[in-house]
Amino acid sequence: MQAILDRFKGHGHVSVLAGANIVVLVLLAIGLGSSFFSMNNMQSMMTQVAEFGLLAVAMSLAMLTGGIDLSIVATAVLAGIVGAEFLTGKVVDLATTPAPVVMAMAVAAMLITGLLCGLFNGLLIAKASIPPILATLATSIFYTGVGTVMTGGASVPVKVKEFFKLGTVTVANIPMVFLITVIAFVVVGMMLRWTRTGRRIYLYGENAIALRFSGARHERLVILTYAIVGLICALAAMIMVSRTASARVGYGEAYLLQAILVVVLAGFDPFGGRGRVSGLALSLILLQLLSSAFTIMRFGPYMKVFIWGAMLLAVMLVTRIMAGFMERRERAHVAPPGSGGSPAVVEAVSA
Amino acid sequence: MKSPFRAVFHRRSTPVERYLTLLIIGYAILVTSQNPRFFSLETVFDLVHEGAPTMILAVGVLLVLVSGGIDVSFPVVAITSAYMSIKLMWAFGLDTMAFMLPVSILFGTILGLINALLIHFLRLPTLIVTLGTMAVYRGLMAVLLGTSQYPVAQMPKSLAEFGLLDIVSVTRPEGVYGLSIFLPIVAAVMALTWFLLYHTMIGRSVFAMGSDPEAASRIGVNILRTRLFVYGYTGALAGLAGLIYYAAVQNVDPVALSGFELMVIAAVVIGGAKLTGGEGTILGTFLGVLLFQLFQTTLVQLGLASTWASFFFGAVLLASLAMIYIRQRRADQRNLVFRVG
Repeated sequence: MQAILDRFKGHGHVSVLAGANIVVLVLLAIGLGSSFFSMNNMQSMMTQVAEFGLLAVAMSLAMLTGGIDLSIVATAVLAGIVGAEFLTGKVVDLATTPAPVVMAMAVAAMLITGLLCGLFNGLLIAKASIPPILATLATSIFYTGVGTVMTGGASVPVKVKEFFKLGTVTVANIPMVFLITVIAFVVVGMMLRWTRTGRRIYLYGENAIALRFSGARHERLVILTYAIVGLICALAAMIMVSRTASARVGYGEAYLLQAILVVVLAGFDPFGGRGRVSGLALSLILLQLLSSAFTIMRFGPYMKVFIWGAMLLAVMLVTRIMAGFMERRERAHVAPPGSGGSPAVVEAVSA
Repeated sequence: MKSPFRAVFHRRSTPVERYLTLLIIGYAILVTSQNPRFFSLETVFDLVHEGAPTMILAVGVLLVLVSGGIDVSFPVVAITSAYMSIKLMWAFGLDTMAFMLPVSILFGTILGLINALLIHFLRLPTLIVTLGTMAVYRGLMAVLLGTSQYPVAQMPKSLAEFGLLDIVSVTRPEGVYGLSIFLPIVAAVMALTWFLLYHTMIGRSVFAMGSDPEAASRIGVNILRTRLFVYGYTGALAGLAGLIYYAAVQNVDPVALSGFELMVIAAVVIGGAKLTGGEGTILGTFLGVLLFQLFQTTLVQLGLASTWASFFFGAVLLASLAMIYIRQRRADQRNLVFRVG
């Protein structure tokens, strides 16, 4: 027991999230009972969290570098459309080509599209020094534009039946798409923790100039990060297309706000350098539990919008108050009286 | 010998302004060669009528960008304020612009001030804070006031008539075309904002804060007061734009303009407003909005479907951004300036 408690020390945010999860689970068990914990509901929650979870982890990577990616949904939708063009029989003849080959081509096309979109974002940010917010704002309009031109705004239906299976097939009662997301989380988590690139992503977010002066190739790092973001979006696209059996412009627009919400809720610092994938997983579970509960309680869509927005603001407020409290305590411990003035001034205006 | 531009504006034109002007002229020539009817007063009148709400919103966004922030809540603020003012007016049993206009502007200002306070005290990126308030404003209004639409027959009569009011009209064989009352309103908003930005202390502090908040604070700029001004003023403009939008489209829809924020920000960014340097001009913003409106309404005359609008607009936006920031990057490399992010 002590060992478990020790592990949580220093990860205040993760333990708060874990606690919140347990509280919500208990409340749901009391309030909704077996209808919530049925196999059916569990499976549908896992399927829902899968594509959104991938978009959230993509957003979290961008935020670790102190940037943001507003084009995640646009990238995923464009990748989905390119893949769906194969699956609808526009590019290859479905009658003569065996289904597995078509599916392999479609998945490859999605991944390549996502990767290219991410690379382009990275190039704009690293090589043209455009602030990430503006660069990805522009590309989100542009990618949407490309998707609209390709489809004329219409929905592209998937005609390869085998592709739907990806969205419905289960392994030991666990949906396959959920497993894909879990694997993506583990891989990203391990990359951030154990690889040089991962550590450098944190360093870049913490202090980009220091990393630059330490001789790391910071521009390549940024390009690589956004390329990974694009690739993860393509994975999300794959799940989207298999689940909805189609691809169209305008799908999943609400995901952008929710992705930012879940990443901030997970304790990621929007200025970069702080955040853990384990926290992200917990905050995703929390959001999904609440979202399903709201659906069962028949809340309207605008009620949900309001609750997500209020939660985002509340989480930021609590984080702010806690950070202020920690700062004061540290200053009381470290700085001799009277010498704390200068950091306070710097801090007050740095926002 | 002074150039005519300098004689009028007392400054040099920026590179972005020059390239946008050339682009717009080139585009106009292209469209006219395909469809001679484009080159007419009617086109101009239409652009004024349809572009007025966008232009007012864009002026507010310019202010926010110059101050170093990004606000995505303004379309929701606009629609929410206008809708609330209409509902409130009905509660009093009235039907007059003299009630709606000040009330809508007041609501907009209040919502903007809430944004400013949250941004100041949460010390987080303005984008994330305003994403939150956007969701809260929209959700709260929809839950409290409902989401019923009022088409032209049911919307306030004074508002519908206001949207059709013309200051000048031209009679042609095909019909009568009028220059909308929106023109003087937009011109007044632009003139007022220009005056505030370039000729008052508060305007200079907005630029100072956008360039470097710490330096600004050390030379005595009150950051909180500047933020309150920026977001309050933007909110007020949004309140005005919301009513004008309803009047222009002749339909009161409480969830209209969703997703419009990115387009307006993009139009202002195309016009050369820089997020990281306290730069931006009203003329540039005007050109950006003009280009946006042209792509929205005239692609059809080129024989292209309107689905191409985002594509072209995104491409021009990328070109504009690359031009602005590569220039800054070169200057930074020359001057050994190292920026974060």
